[in-house]
Amino acid sequence: MPMTVSQSGLEQFEAAATAAVATVDTIDRSPAALRDAIWRAAGDSNRVLYAPPQDHPAELFAEFARDPRVRADPTAEELVNTPAGVTEAFAGVARTGSVCVDVGYQRTGMASLLAPLHIAVLAAENIVPQPRDLFRDDVLGGKGLTRSFVFITGPSATADMGPLVRGVHGPHRLHIIILR
Amino acid sequence: MAAPVNPIDIQPRQVANKSDKRALLEAIRMTLSVQSAAIRHNTQTFNRNRYTAVARIADYDAMKDRARATKEKAIANLPELLRQLEASVRANGGHFFLAKTAADANQYIRDVLVKHAVKLVVKGKSITSEETRLNHSLEAVGIKVAESDLAEFILQVADEQPSHIIAPALHYSRERITALFKSKFQTDLPLDTGEELTRFAREILRQQFIAADAGISGANLIAADSGSLMLVESEGNIRMTTLLPPLHIAIAGIEKIVPSRIDFQPFVELLPASATGQPLTSYVSILRPPMTAPSFAAPGKSPKPREFHLVLIDNGRSTMREDPVLHEALYCIRCSACLNVCANFETVGGHAFGGETYSGGIGGSWEAGTGKLMNARFSELCTGCSRCIPQCPVRIDIPWLNQNLRQRMNHADGSSMTKSLFGSLTGSAPEDKAAPLPKQFFANYHTFGKWGTRIASLANESNHLPAARNFMEAVLGVDHRRELPPFPAKTWEQLFSEEPRPATAATIQPGVAVLADTFTNFGAPERGMAVIRVLRAVGADVVLTPSIPDGRAAMSQGMIDTARQQARAMAETLVPYLQTGRKIVVVEPSVLAMLRFDCKHLLDDPQTVAALAANSFEPLQFLWEVVTKSGSNWATVFPAAKSRFGTRLFYHAHCQQRTCDAGTQTTDVLRAAGFDVVTSSVECCGMAGSFGYKHDFYELSMAVGADLFAQVRNAEQDGEPRILVASGISCHEQLAAGMRRTVLHPAEVLVSTLTR
Repeated sequence: MPMTVSQSGLEQFEAAATAAVATVDTIDRSPAALRDAIWRAAGDSNRVLYAPPQDHPAELFAEFARDPRVRADPTAEELVNTPAGVTEAFAGVARTGSVCVDVGYQRTGMASLLAPLHIAVLAAENIVPQPRDLFRDDVLGGKGLTRSFVFITGPSATADMGPLVRGVHGPHRLHIIILR
Repeated sequence: MAAPVNPIDIQPRQVANKSDKRALLEAIRMTLSVQSAAIRHNTQTFNRNRYTAVARIADYDAMKDRARATKEKAIANLPELLRQLEASVRANGGHFFLAKTAADANQYIRDVLVKHAVKLVVKGKSITSEETRLNHSLEAVGIKVAESDLAEFILQVADEQPSHIIAPALHYSRERITALFKSKFQTDLPLDTGEELTRFAREILRQQFIAADAGISGANLIAADSGSLMLVESEGNIRMTTLLPPLHIAIAGIEKIVPSRIDFQPFVELLPASATGQPLTSYVSILRPPMTAPSFAAPGKSPKPREFHLVLIDNGRSTMREDPVLHEALYCIRCSACLNVCANFETVGGHAFGGETYSGGIGGSWEAGTGKLMNARFSELCTGCSRCIPQCPVRIDIPWLNQNLRQRMNHADGSSMTKSLFGSLTGSAPEDKAAPLPKQFFANYHTFGKWGTRIASLANESNHLPAARNFMEAVLGVDHRRELPPFPAKTWEQLFSEEPRPATAATIQPGVAVLADTFTNFGAPERGMAVIRVLRAVGADVVLTPSIPDGRAAMSQGMIDTARQQARAMAETLVPYLQTGRKIVVVEPSVLAMLRFDCKHLLDDPQTVAALAANSFEPLQFLWEVVTKSGSNWATVFPAAKSRFGTRLFYHAHCQQRTCDAGTQTTDVLRAAGFDVVTSSVECCGMAGSFGYKHDFYELSMAVGADLFAQVRNAEQDGEPRILVASGISCHEQLAAGMRRTVLHPAEVLVSTLTR
């Protein structure tokens, strides 16, 4: 049974991600379009952490990665002092607007966690209906059953200091780029 | 000068252990005066959000069944799963340690950290490590522990125990956190908003994350087949703890194991929705440590290889597993729904309704299971209102666990001549005669009702005598500030026998048997008669059963054997009516709860249990679900405009009535009849049967009631009063006490529309 979502699922994903206070940008799947979309979100960042992909073709990120502000092999200093991090997401969840990021793969975990802005790149066909679908061997090749990953739903947040505050130990902003 | 953090002289740590009842009473006083507003705001927000979030899970009930079945199977197969898990963790390249006691777990972790010369360890949130007092154990050997969850950070600064199982500092308002930080950190930084406080703590903790040699996390679930952990959070500190340092130690109770990652399916959705009411929290990590990604190395250092230790603790859980009742607590996934839905918890939080580690309705079983029975004393604050039962994602009957704890504590308190004599006179089962007098009094209220109505005028007179009230307070624990419902001159049974038969033949056959419950029969027969008249007005053939106790009052006092005797006798009385095809109509909602879901604990025959549950109705629910089908037009039968009370009503449905899904139908009938009804949204009025009558809990009961009273005032903001309507007798008493007004049963409202 195919478990990826239709156009309505894509709309559901965008609505749920927005409700979770993420921002969403849907673009055509090309290196130039991706480069432009990332810089639209990263704006005036003087430096961007970049975790090269394992599921998407590296060429897709090639235009972006060529920029001198990009750090694919950051120093410790750069890891903790960079305004934005770019990673791929191997899955999305329509009902919750979550992206799933493989934190066991190289520096994907750190690039998705340490910078105030996390930009996640998600292919539309990898959006599944519900969180539970990640734990099925017939969905996305069973990646959710073997990988170390995180369901990321919006920016980090806390209500421990009284009112709801966004931006705690993890990113203050989550931006999702969906590849049509 | 900032406000003092805690203006009264009782510190939470001093009253954390409540095996001595005085500590419980002191803790209630402290929380009511210092913490209540913050707790109310935070728990009620969680509670509202949970209702919304679970409604968005299309197959919520099926998911709960699956979660329940998964946990049942996992706990049954625990020894085998532990072996599997150990093999999986070792195959992944990790280390596995099964600790028999808290001390064993602490010792192991300390040894690992010392071996790696760890100076600083960052911790994610782990209530299991609170149970073992891990921090003290590490600090004793000079290891610095940085709690990185902001709530745990607050508790570490304040040196307090958790007040909630997922939001351990929710008893702190923003203002009190500001005062705390200002006094402990001596800083000039502005700390007057949530953002400023968060930034302040983040900056401190960011340095700790970068410098830490090791991270200690808990685990929400563990998959035996792969050694996978599920970790649920929103701040990102658990991600930091598990990702940055080369050494990761996870500590969890053995009950967290499920067979495989596939079994995470129901929990990944149920846990966040039931906990904070979010579809998912910001981060749900699914990890299979040790991870292959490089660890973080501080500037100038090279990354160290990763090492992972899984420390599972038993600490009483194997004994719980063998316990015929407490094993249910091992199914708990620590979501806190039972805390947030609980009216008492919403008012005092876990520093009163909790022990040294665990809190809320489920907390008593955990404190008793991992410590001593008497540590569960705070579970006295479970009134048995039952609102937690439908909220529990693994369907634990939490009040039942607390009633059993109460029974064990009654026995542990020891028997005496007085208790035994009192029990014999009033009708306690032999096993329950060790219970304290106040408990035996409330459990055997039926006996007092019988005596009292025989000598009604004398009994009522003496209820107003100060000496009598002092005696009742001192010996029976009944607070002198409570109005006692007067014993009626005639019981419901007597009034029914004197009531003329209807002139026209009944159209609804074989009709109903109305249960003459203790509370209506001896306490409010006029409410019972109104129900009879309403049922006859719609054409039902009505008989009244003999008055019998149902067992619920005894059960709520932990007098389970007495409850069993009473429930058996009630079933014997009711079954013949069912056999003639009658439905059972029950006026008092707590008795309906007994028939709907408590009898399964007390009766042996499952068919009888099922028959009683399927055929019992709240009176207006009977009208809405059974009589409406025959085409009744409620606006014609009960025309609201004719009511001498007017058409504006404020209705409060009883807690157990709503748990029985028998609350909304009352509003449906009243509105269909033409009444303008505003309903309450509080979980419980605070009286909760006998609870609010008890001297020890009077202030708490009234504090809980404050929410309900405020809702009444809010509904009357337009300046026009509303008639107060309640289905439960104790809600009736509470509303009358709080608003100083007459309170009616919905049937009394309907009767007022009938032309004579």
